[in-house]
Amino acid sequence: MMCPDMEASLNEYVDGTLSVHERQAVDEHLAHCAGCRDAVVELRRFVTEAHQLPPSITPPRDLWPVIGRRIGQRAARNVQPAWWRGALAAAAVLVIALGLYRLLPPFAALYRPPGRGWVGVQADFDRATDELGVILAAERGRLRPETVAVLERSLAVIDAAIAESRAALARDPANAELRRLFAAASRQKVELLQWVTRVAAS
Amino acid sequence: MHSDPTDLIHRAQQGDRAAFETLYHAHVGRVYALCLRLTADRALAEERTQDAFVRAWERLATFRGESAFSSWLYRLTVNEVLLGRRAERRRGARIVTTDDPAALERPGAASVGAGTALDLERAVAALPPGAREVFVLHDVEGYRHEEIAQLTGVAVGTSKAQLFRARRLLREALNR
Repeated sequence: MMCPDMEASLNEYVDGTLSVHERQAVDEHLAHCAGCRDAVVELRRFVTEAHQLPPSITPPRDLWPVIGRRIGQRAARNVQPAWWRGALAAAAVLVIALGLYRLLPPFAALYRPPGRGWVGVQADFDRATDELGVILAAERGRLRPETVAVLERSLAVIDAAIAESRAALARDPANAELRRLFAAASRQKVELLQWVTRVAAS
Repeated sequence: MHSDPTDLIHRAQQGDRAAFETLYHAHVGRVYALCLRLTADRALAEERTQDAFVRAWERLATFRGESAFSSWLYRLTVNEVLLGRRAERRRGARIVTTDDPAALERPGAASVGAGTALDLERAVAALPPGAREVFVLHDVEGYRHEEIAQLTGVAVGTSKAQLFRARRLLREALNR
């Protein structure tokens, strides 16, 4: 019979997780305690038997049909969001295109909504690029790491150009050249996001 | 026909379900054994085995080959079982630790010299869930206490205490 206060020490002794000093102390105890010596033999045999249990057990029935069906269902469910993401991306691009069209100088703009002007167009652009950003975030895992790295570098450059032209336009809203610069940078961002969401969803 | 495991994994990562089915057949025995020992319930073990493979399919892209595919799959399986148990505990469901010997029989396991092993399997299945999980992970599967603590969300000291308790209960159950 094991000494009641030795349970943890004997288990760790068998597992080999004691320090040298602790191990020596247990050895000394074992030298004069037959009950604990028996317990150690028993624990060792027991641990060996546990290690030797069969690593593999065949299930009583084939589980693949259910797994295959569940995988198939998930794949089918994934098709729908991909379609919606495509539609959403197209809608976002349309919104941006309209916004950029309204940014063009007066001689080219056929439609300029009264009372909205620059602030409204910026809001449309922000909303649309946010939507594309959400789509991209959802699909990011499908992209190769190298693609993500290039994408991030390109977006950083374009975002810097957009921020610069936007800040300049805030100071000089009627400047047609600044509008063109903003439109060009925004179009680049849209095209990049559109391309990358298409690649990720394919 | 034997296929290269690396090629199978790569094909499965590209969405090839037939390749994944081959991986399933190669590993289902180990995964089911793990689930059965952790849950002590045949129906639950089947369910968790299915969950584990579905989850593995979903996460195949995250497997980068730093460890063996089998290690990655078995760790994912342990997570699925432990998550499932936590969810059941939240729902107030009772985990069967079982008085029903039929739940502990191991169809398909080696029968030669299986008497002692079967006694041990039955005694393991009758352990309280916490002690059983630590015993299976440490003594059967060879996980370290630090890994078990990480997987189960308990302290290393608690993992050790559960293991020693499990061994004591098993010794008592096996009349040693």
